[in-house]
Amino acid sequence: MSAGASVRAKASGTKAIRYLDVVKRYGAFTALAGVALDVHAGEVVCLIGPSGSGKSTLLRCTNGLEKIDGGDIEFEGARLGRDERALRAMRRRMGMVFQNFELFPHLTAEQNVAEGPRTVLRTGIAEAKRRAAAMLAKVGLADKAASYPSALSGGQQQRVAIARALAMEPDVMLFDEPTSALDPETIGEVLNVMKVLADEGMTMVVVTHEMSFARRVGDWVAVFDAGRIVEEGSPEQIFERPATTRTRDFLSHLTWGA
Amino acid sequence: MTFDWSVVWRYRDALALGTATTFLLTIATMAIAVPCGIVVASLRLYGAAPLRTFATAYVELFRNLPLILVVYWAFYVLPIVTGVGLSAFATGLAALSLNVTAYNAETFRAGINSIRRGQLEAALALGMTRTQALRRIVVPQALRRVLPVLASTWVSLFKDTSLVSVIAVGELAYVSMQARAQTFRVLEMLTAMAVIYWLLGYPQAKLVDWIERRYVVTE
Repeated sequence: MSAGASVRAKASGTKAIRYLDVVKRYGAFTALAGVALDVHAGEVVCLIGPSGSGKSTLLRCTNGLEKIDGGDIEFEGARLGRDERALRAMRRRMGMVFQNFELFPHLTAEQNVAEGPRTVLRTGIAEAKRRAAAMLAKVGLADKAASYPSALSGGQQQRVAIARALAMEPDVMLFDEPTSALDPETIGEVLNVMKVLADEGMTMVVVTHEMSFARRVGDWVAVFDAGRIVEEGSPEQIFERPATTRTRDFLSHLTWGA
Repeated sequence: MTFDWSVVWRYRDALALGTATTFLLTIATMAIAVPCGIVVASLRLYGAAPLRTFATAYVELFRNLPLILVVYWAFYVLPIVTGVGLSAFATGLAALSLNVTAYNAETFRAGINSIRRGQLEAALALGMTRTQALRRIVVPQALRRVLPVLASTWVSLFKDTSLVSVIAVGELAYVSMQARAQTFRVLEMLTAMAVIYWLLGYPQAKLVDWIERRYVVTE
């Protein structure tokens, strides 16, 4: 592995998330077989690799939606909470965006975004509404505040979901295949919002099949296969000079007819 | 055979009072059995092991006992066991609530299970407690989804309140039977009772259909 060969542009020394030999099993199946990875503050780290290789599982372990069976995860220098209270305190500072949006269908776009500040941060309704308006404007959906999710396109729903996570003013954003469930024509609007966040310096961990996003926006790319990271490096290294056959193999299958 | 429908008119005040009591029983039972049903369903789904077992046992017990037996049991056994003597109305209310809570619990459990796991996860990912996630996100959706079932339970309950007439709760059925016994006008009183139940039950069923259409949540 020649990870050391690439220059880690935003290596700041401040590590937002550290994965230390993380192991996750589902019965006899090992989803994560000892994953080690650092996410520096302000970095966009993209997790790529074939389906079932453990990328999403790692992301879901990051905020404790899945419990790890071995190793450790550190968030901002502290071990990921084992008890619910400590875990909740960390979740407030980690926004998560899901493949299927998971907007709350019984709430309007505004209520969806205001729900976290209101219920979790107890900001009061006025402040929650102010945040909702600001975040919906940020994702370009100020005019959809009163719409229910069912009246929005997939791309719009995912942008509301991003606004919902941002309203908590998180330190880190986790994206779990945010464009995989979208129609091709709405993928761009979601990636644009994510690009803006990245440019603003948001620390992001992105599980994605959008190689152009990983290439253009990612600061660091980790290639997963069978529950391990087979290679990590800068986008140039991974996409121009992949060091392992597995990475070359994976990337070559992404282009039809290649 | 001659009919004397005037007896119905003569007993109008009693019948009106009985009808009011029937409504009161239905409303009070549901007011108790909806929140209690949610609690029992939550215990079955998310409670610690002993609570889960207790909730399951409760549901299976009351779902599989005839309601009239529960009514009698509440009337004769409950005061002996608890040492508390309740009025006939309160006893009837307790029996109906025990029964309907069990049904509602099953309804809510099915409703909560029908909300996909991602909704709970999205709420937890925001930092909500499990209770907050259930109260703010899962249960409101489940409630909307089970409204049609709750509605039919309501209409059944409205009719089933007649069973508490066996312990002399002065609801519509009891009052009608009393009038029948005093006047020997069986056909008239039973017909009047049927007409009143139907005329009141039918619009309720329709109202419930309307509520269902009004609050449907599309994904």
